[in-house]
Amino acid sequence: MEIQHKRLHRVDLLAIRGRLDAANAPDLKQLLEELFDQGRYRIVLDLEHLEYVASPGLRVLIEARKRARDRKLSDLEGGDVRIANLPPRIKEVFDLTGFTSLFEIFPDPVEAVGSY
Amino acid sequence: MQVCYVPEPDIAMQSLKVSATLSSLALISDFISNATTSVGLDEHAAWQVQLAVDEAATNIIQHGYDADNPGQIELTWDVDGVNLVVTLRDFGRRFNPFDVPPPDLVSPLEERQPGGLGLYLMSRLMDDVAFSFDDVNGNLLTMTKRLRLLAGAVRVFALSGRIDAVTTAAALEPIYAAVEDGNRYVLINMAEVSFLSSSGLRALLLVRKHLLARDGELRLCSLQPQVYEVFVLTGFTQVFSLHVSQDDALAAFGQGAREP
Repeated sequence: MEIQHKRLHRVDLLAIRGRLDAANAPDLKQLLEELFDQGRYRIVLDLEHLEYVASPGLRVLIEARKRARDRKLSDLEGGDVRIANLPPRIKEVFDLTGFTSLFEIFPDPVEAVGSY
Repeated sequence: MQVCYVPEPDIAMQSLKVSATLSSLALISDFISNATTSVGLDEHAAWQVQLAVDEAATNIIQHGYDADNPGQIELTWDVDGVNLVVTLRDFGRRFNPFDVPPPDLVSPLEERQPGGLGLYLMSRLMDDVAFSFDDVNGNLLTMTKRLRLLAGAVRVFALSGRIDAVTTAAALEPIYAAVEDGNRYVLINMAEVSFLSSSGLRALLLVRKHLLARDGELRLCSLQPQVYEVFVLTGFTQVFSLHVSQDDALAAFGQGAREP
């Protein structure tokens, strides 16, 4: 797994490539927690090049969104973890596990970033 | 028909022993890639097996053993008839699937619990998942994925005219030859057969017997009414797999249903 991190003005955009399994889910979790600890609660995950996700990766996603949305800021400043691009294999896992309705999913990162 | 393939009948069981650590997941993935490629699973089914085995191994690594004292995972894969069978054995804590909470697939985000998804995915992605445990042999997980057959893997023969004592041998000769050549999936289209004698019937029984002995299948399709009547009168509708059309018959190959 490789994560490209772009810090935009209001949003952090993470492009995740490769495999998100039990071996590297902790790396993503750690990066997200560092951002949260810095007060960066608006995240877009670009999954266009994510080839594989297993349940430990799903767990990181769900916990991250919970934490981001728990952040009590003003309505305009509310936190979230939003998703851009959902490749077919990843969407299949999302559909099987009932994750599709848990996330706001956008067709590309521009729209996802613009949604904040 | 779905795109796939007939497994080589003589693939030998493969095995792998790794330490139950997260760094072994990549090795396990390679081992399973080798399996799905060898048996010719299509890309989608191969991914399903990959994910199911990955989830199973992750469960063993994270819950079966203590992190500071990881034991081993023994994996095997083999072909059993038209199934790919993958096993994972470990000697960690006893695993009882009924202890795992059912997955929560519908609660809103705030209440959603991500537990139990691994086991759930395994059961959704594989055709069969079975756990067993005993004190000597530890936990044994057996997962099965059905291999579907490529239409081209089924040899289709069309017979015609009268199949009786005089014509049977010549008519069935190419079929016997194909079976001897190792073809295990044979479909005989009977649309042009106007008469079937008892010697013809006996010859078909023999083809069926040869194929079953090779773990293969014989199916017949498109029988004319007077020919179908022969099967009814002799009770052989229960013995042979008869189909109304060639497409129906082709679709039925490799579904795992075996004649008694």
